Amino acid sequence: MSKQMLKMTSAFADVMPAEYAELVQSGPFGKGYGVADLGSFKELIEEHPLCAGCGLALAMRLIMASLPTPEDTVVVGSTGCSSLAFPQIALHNIHSLFGNQNAVASGLKRALKLRFPDKHKDVLVIAGDGATADIGLDMVMHSWFRGENIATIMLDNEAYANTGGQESGMSPEGCVLNMAPTGKKFKKIALPEIAREAGCAYVASVTPVQPRKLEKAVRRAILVAREVGPTYLQIFVPCPTNYKFKPQETLAKAKQKEKDQTYPLREFITPEAQAFLSALEGGRKHD
Amino acid sequence: MSQYRVMAGPEGYLPPAAACQGVTLPEVGWALVEGRHVPEQEALSAIVDKLLNAKRPFFFPGPNLLWEWKEGVAAKANALRKLADTAGARVIPMPDYRPKYPMINPAIEINPNHPNLTIWHNKIDVCVFAGVHCHYANVALKIIRGGTDCYTIAICGEAGHEDANISLRNAGIPQIEALTAMVAERRRLS
Amino acid sequence: MPEQRIVSPEFMFNEAAREEQFITGSEAVREAIKRANVDMAISYPITPQSESMHLVGDIYAEGYIKEYYRGENEFAVMSSVAGAAMGGVRVFTATGGPGTMRALEMFPTWAGARLPIVCAFFTRGINSPLTIQPDTIEMAHLLDTGMIMLHAEDAQDLYDMILKAFIIAEQTEVHLPVGVFADGFFVTHTRDKVRVCPVDIKLPAYLPYSAPVPVMDMENVPIRQMRDPFVMKSNYVSYAAHASWQQEVMAAAERARPFIHKYLGGLVEVENPAADILLLAGGTAVCQSREAMVMAREEGIEVGLIKLKSVRPFPGDELRALTAKAKAVIVPEFNRVGWLSREVRNVVEHPDRIVAGPRVFGGMTMPPDLIMAEIRRYARE
Repeated sequence: MSKQMLKMTSAFADVMPAEYAELVQSGPFGKGYGVADLGSFKELIEEHPLCAGCGLALAMRLIMASLPTPEDTVVVGSTGCSSLAFPQIALHNIHSLFGNQNAVASGLKRALKLRFPDKHKDVLVIAGDGATADIGLDMVMHSWFRGENIATIMLDNEAYANTGGQESGMSPEGCVLNMAPTGKKFKKIALPEIAREAGCAYVASVTPVQPRKLEKAVRRAILVAREVGPTYLQIFVPCPTNYKFKPQETLAKAKQKEKDQTYPLREFITPEAQAFLSALEGGRKHD
Repeated sequence: MSQYRVMAGPEGYLPPAAACQGVTLPEVGWALVEGRHVPEQEALSAIVDKLLNAKRPFFFPGPNLLWEWKEGVAAKANALRKLADTAGARVIPMPDYRPKYPMINPAIEINPNHPNLTIWHNKIDVCVFAGVHCHYANVALKIIRGGTDCYTIAICGEAGHEDANISLRNAGIPQIEALTAMVAERRRLS
Repeated sequence: MPEQRIVSPEFMFNEAAREEQFITGSEAVREAIKRANVDMAISYPITPQSESMHLVGDIYAEGYIKEYYRGENEFAVMSSVAGAAMGGVRVFTATGGPGTMRALEMFPTWAGARLPIVCAFFTRGINSPLTIQPDTIEMAHLLDTGMIMLHAEDAQDLYDMILKAFIIAEQTEVHLPVGVFADGFFVTHTRDKVRVCPVDIKLPAYLPYSAPVPVMDMENVPIRQMRDPFVMKSNYVSYAAHASWQQEVMAAAERARPFIHKYLGGLVEVENPAADILLLAGGTAVCQSREAMVMAREEGIEVGLIKLKSVRPFPGDELRALTAKAKAVIVPEFNRVGWLSREVRNVVEHPDRIVAGPRVFGGMTMPPDLIMAEIRRYARE
């Protein structure tokens, strides 16, 4: 993104809405902000209509605050709750249909590489569990097989939340949801393990309970995708609306599942990615 | 097909796209006035008439003129602002095209998904679009013609807009400055 | 990298010297894409289209295209092509028959998203049951996707239409996907004389910022831009917003008409239009019609021909005028449903004069005798 893109024309600066003036003055473009700076800068998300207590909304804000170079990041999303927030985000983003987000991202990434060979244009996929593990599974995996330089992030609320809470492949076994009236009959899909086997250079599974940890995973996923190969990050984002708990309990739910290992956190890094990350992170303290 | 006239609305529930009613875009050097091809000069005159006789004229600059994203934008924006000021028109921007939640603030912005809100709230009777991506301008112009009686003028840098009441094409600083000069001259004489 | 200089489309189409080659339709695709200054092509195998995209891959290896790969299914390929187009590059792909059906959701998506993609469709039968052989029924399924549809009669048309499709598609006021249709096997696998321009010239590059919508590259404004968000009737968005968007897509196809006139010489081509009996066809049905015209002339029957080059936008005004005085308008087609005769009946006066056939399908050839039988019947009346 050229600096000029954030310069209002003097002719009309006086009539521009405040949200844009704020984006210019205190937005994150080119500033290298992180999660620790939240509260002190204008976030990329202007507003969103998602439910009170939505884990996905929290994760989206944290992801946006974690981007290494938001000024040169394009996101490909998919149908689902997140696509209701994406129009409000100050990044170019594409609403694919449903399930084809990684195919769209593959074409986009290669196109941007052609047009901007000397620049990093990070292409990031952010989609729900239905989009990633069910309807999109083949296209997600093929983008991994092909070694596309794309970071794929799944916002895992363990259901098709936006359509009223139906069972998805990522729902836990036994869980009673719409279209699974007598409980889900098969196990939660182990997508991080599949990602590892499918050729991802970096894979992680996290929750928003520890924002700095989520930030580190997001940055690793994006930076490894830039230089080494495809990456996959799975984020557990509980849904109070469809799992029927109180909005203020969202983080407690995530914390509980982390603690009792029913949502096991893990990280898989190939030796090549590890070497890259060590060089990058070497000597710098991270928690 | 009989000649479809692109008049100010409200045309009704869902007016057709003028291009589907046989209205075609003009050649370079020509313009559209209410669905008819006219020499550009005639359209410039018509625009000046509308602006000077308007009770509450407004200009709607779009993203391509609100940010200095490439060479030449600042100069064009300055020329457009000068025209608005000379014509005594206020300015409300169309800063982007996204559907806004819970709703736009029609006092300070216009949006192609609900442009009629801004027209109604500010009681706009004549408006000028410039610097808006053509697809979104066309969507906005149809909704305005459907639900409001606002007269629409498009100062288009590309091929023009059949759904506007008056549309220039390939319009740049020369056309904008010509309009400013004509407005200033008529005001001086009146 | 082959040495090519950029020339204007007008020079390439009208003025450049041409050399005759004896090539298949698939090879004609290769020749067109070589000169089309395409940035990216993405492929997936399906008969009878595979050879075309093999050859496109070969010229990628020679340096005529900057990026090429094989996707995992047609829906994925058409999605990737959309992503690339949104990223601001010129893309090409091809499919046909079941592949078209597999990717079907992407075609109205391309149109609604105003993506100037050129896609070749080599038509073949749709399951069930399976046939790899020619049939134009898939065109019926695409008529209302919002795409521009050009129908090639032969390999020469295929070569010319692919090149011209990019120029028509990329006009700011059009900016829609263009499908270039040709009958599988009859065109793709038969050798024909094709006049091609020199290989050291190519079309001008695509200009992404001439698009009527923002490009997804974080290098143009506005920054808060999603392509394309939910646009749904609600308190927040006008009930007319989605409808107006759909209307704009239809309008964009209308705006293609002057460019189809300019570059293709019109939406239709006519021979002997004053005849009482007219044949109206597209694709290789035109070839068979030409044969029938010769046979008819030998029997002393004057027959005219209307060749349909553009199916969308549809040449309604032209057909109404051309058929005004005809006694019978015979519409031979290579599909079961007669989609072309339906379209024609919709626009002409006294549609009872439209003869919806002969029709063959599922890979059958159409002997000119079938058309002659209709001609004789109406010549007698």
